[in-house]
Amino acid sequence: MQQQFKVFVIEGGLRAWRKAGNPLESVPHDDIIKLPSFA
Amino acid sequence: MNDLLPIIAQHGYLLLAAVCFAEAVGLPVPGAIAILTAGAVAAYGKLHFYSVFGWAVAAMLVGDIILYFIGRLSGWALLGFLCRLSASPETCILRSAEYFYRRGKQTLLFAKFIPGINTMSPPLAGSMKMQVNAFLLFDTLGAALYVGAYSAVGYVFSDALRAITRGLRSAGFAAEVVFGVGLGVYAIYRIWMYRKYKLLDMVPRVPVAELARRLAADANRSILIADVRSHGYYDSESQRIAGSIRIEPNNLEEEIKNLPKDREIYLYCT
Repeated sequence: MQQQFKVFVIEGGLRAWRKAGNPLESVPHDDIIKLPSFA
Repeated sequence: MNDLLPIIAQHGYLLLAAVCFAEAVGLPVPGAIAILTAGAVAAYGKLHFYSVFGWAVAAMLVGDIILYFIGRLSGWALLGFLCRLSASPETCILRSAEYFYRRGKQTLLFAKFIPGINTMSPPLAGSMKMQVNAFLLFDTLGAALYVGAYSAVGYVFSDALRAITRGLRSAGFAAEVVFGVGLGVYAIYRIWMYRKYKLLDMVPRVPVAELARRLAADANRSILIADVRSHGYYDSESQRIAGSIRIEPNNLEEEIKNLPKDREIYLYCT
């Protein structure tokens, strides 16, 4: 992947991003996988 | 294990309850042997059989209820965490959820007899929003079945307890050997995976502050942020980095075909 693309890894991932106060978004409903639920 | 007999006779119900609670919350303690021994002690008249039963069931229920509400509050995060050990976390989550949805109530009845499943079932019931009443009913029946079976065996076969515990000790030793071999195989697998993906260390790391700065200066929209967490989104409250897309890491060969080669791709997980 790295040979074909210019790839970077975000240090600390989502946790660090959130902690730094950077913008987040709710996942679109279409992307949410519906798992079975008793509710 | 024979030492348990005088210890339980002396410290009685509180020790039994502590061991049962610890087992219910997933700690590696011999709950079954403690109940078996307490049953035998009850046969000698040092404890009351029904009190042994009541204390053990109540302690297990307390542990299970705590795990149930942890599952209820954490949503699918707990299952996602446990499935990270699986070769395909996504499949692990989907299959576990599907299985528990179809057989969850029956599973609660017999889960206590199966190590691993006993600890997984209450939080899974919570994650899947099983009604509290239904959970309490089936979990209580399951705990009663488990405690009843072991305490009755201890009570009826109290004279043969030493032979039984010797047998359990042999079984325990065999289980330890199997566990040890499994642990060794898993360690080798992790080392192999580490060496396989060591190349990824060459992928440059970018601090979030630096990425935020690059994003602010990215007038040409040449930056693509991709979420590569091991499993997808299951909770409606799920969040991700604004503007990012999802890449399924277990299906990388297919996903890679759709990625633009003219943009910088920034990967992140939890």
